[in-house]
Amino acid sequence: MNTSQTKDICTEEFLINMGPQHPSTHGVLSLELKLDGEMIRDCTAHIGYLHRSMEKLAENRTYTQFIPYTDRLDYVASMNNNMGYVMAVEKLLNLEISDRAKYIRVIAAELNRIASHLIAIGTFAQDLGAFATPLFYCFREREKIIDIFDQICGNRLTYNYMRIGGVQFDLPKGIDEKIKKFIKYMRSKVDDYDWLLTYNTIFLARSKHIGLLPKDLAINYSVSGPNLRASGVKWDLRKDEPYLVYEKLEFDIPVGENGDSWDRYKVRLEEIRQSLKIVEQALGALPEGDPTVKIGRIHKPSPSEIYLRTENPRGELGFFIISDGSAYPYRLKIRSPSFSNLAVLPELVKGLKIADIVCILGSLDILMGETDR
Amino acid sequence: MVIIKIIKLSKDLVIGAWSLIKGLVITLKNCFIPAITLQYPAQKQPMTDRFRGLVDLHPEKCIICYQCVKICPVACLAIAHKQENNKKVISEFKYNMELCCFCGMCQQVCPTSAIYMNKIYEISVYDRDKTHINLLNPGKYIEWLNTSIK
Repeated sequence: MNTSQTKDICTEEFLINMGPQHPSTHGVLSLELKLDGEMIRDCTAHIGYLHRSMEKLAENRTYTQFIPYTDRLDYVASMNNNMGYVMAVEKLLNLEISDRAKYIRVIAAELNRIASHLIAIGTFAQDLGAFATPLFYCFREREKIIDIFDQICGNRLTYNYMRIGGVQFDLPKGIDEKIKKFIKYMRSKVDDYDWLLTYNTIFLARSKHIGLLPKDLAINYSVSGPNLRASGVKWDLRKDEPYLVYEKLEFDIPVGENGDSWDRYKVRLEEIRQSLKIVEQALGALPEGDPTVKIGRIHKPSPSEIYLRTENPRGELGFFIISDGSAYPYRLKIRSPSFSNLAVLPELVKGLKIADIVCILGSLDILMGETDR
Repeated sequence: MVIIKIIKLSKDLVIGAWSLIKGLVITLKNCFIPAITLQYPAQKQPMTDRFRGLVDLHPEKCIICYQCVKICPVACLAIAHKQENNKKVISEFKYNMELCCFCGMCQQVCPTSAIYMNKIYEISVYDRDKTHINLLNPGKYIEWLNTSIK
């Protein structure tokens, strides 16, 4: 075809809906893509398919009754959500918790962080075409964490383990041996992922220099968590605003260089290593005492408002609670990391191919449960 | 130019083949580990001590304090009582399994451990009426224990 012929062809932008039932959108997310051939000109994310009105529901529940609902925010990292909410209420009530409870919370949260990152890595690899192998390996390892949680709190997904003032149960007998065994096992498996994925030619070609997120753009969009750290910003609430016992524990914050999809993957992989380190230290320093607390049906804080943020596997999870002195919160606002992380997506995908959007979405690791709330 | 292209191509081929071999080594390693999956309907995983299944009741232990009803976040429990010889007696204890979120707060709040969660986890039913369970009926879960499909 010569050039004079191609000039006559009129092309127009093509609108395509990706999702809400698309397997690569990680939940019920609908993306409206404006395409020029295979090039993405514009992208609009339509959210709200999983909206359950969590914040309004909280206003009709007592502080204790809302704990199970936080399980359903980020349903692959329920422990961290539980912990964030419970710590916010404790701050509102000026409650001190026992040292053992603090350590148990750290162990539970870090184990859950590993489980969450395993899903992120597995599904990211699957989105890039490594069809089932890495996903199944990741789920096999996650299963071991879930087994530990099953013994600790009795459920496999919606744990509801944290309580205002402590935790529901003490660690069962023999669980520390199991966790130590898991840490040893997991360390060898993370090295396996390095072999299998990290420097694989196809994986590098698909993810390196794709979806570059510069530092300033990440900060402007208030991106947080591994996505922010992959862009080279060393910001981790566990180090910068230490809560619980994180200041007593030694760990590094992995930081990426370019802020591309591969960096985001690599930061997550490194965070698994650091989390294993944290769990090992916390388990070694576990003090004696009683972490459990009698479930308080009604808490009446004095009229005040607080904001507390914790480092979730996906970023900064914040709870803003206004209390009017009654047993119910007057207002509960949830700052969910995935919402901000998803907002930056249109900036990243412009000018890229349609296959890259799957890669970027996988590397951002968004979760619709907490985006829509 | 052609030579440079050939060198680049062969370099890519070698690196590609090396990462393929590396990947296959991992897969090969996993070929020799024992199977970890269970053949589900025939083999079943035992439930842990703290497992939260369906809500169950020891009616003789219940002191009718309504704590479980008050703490339930989804209001799936309903109790009614009557007075007999100046003593409270339960007349109704209904559990709506359809609403239950299996948070286990009712069993934690119960002062006499009358309400507890059993180990039944195969809880799908064909009939919606079967999700409304009368906890005072002693034979309520017999059907659930025997078969996987109700």
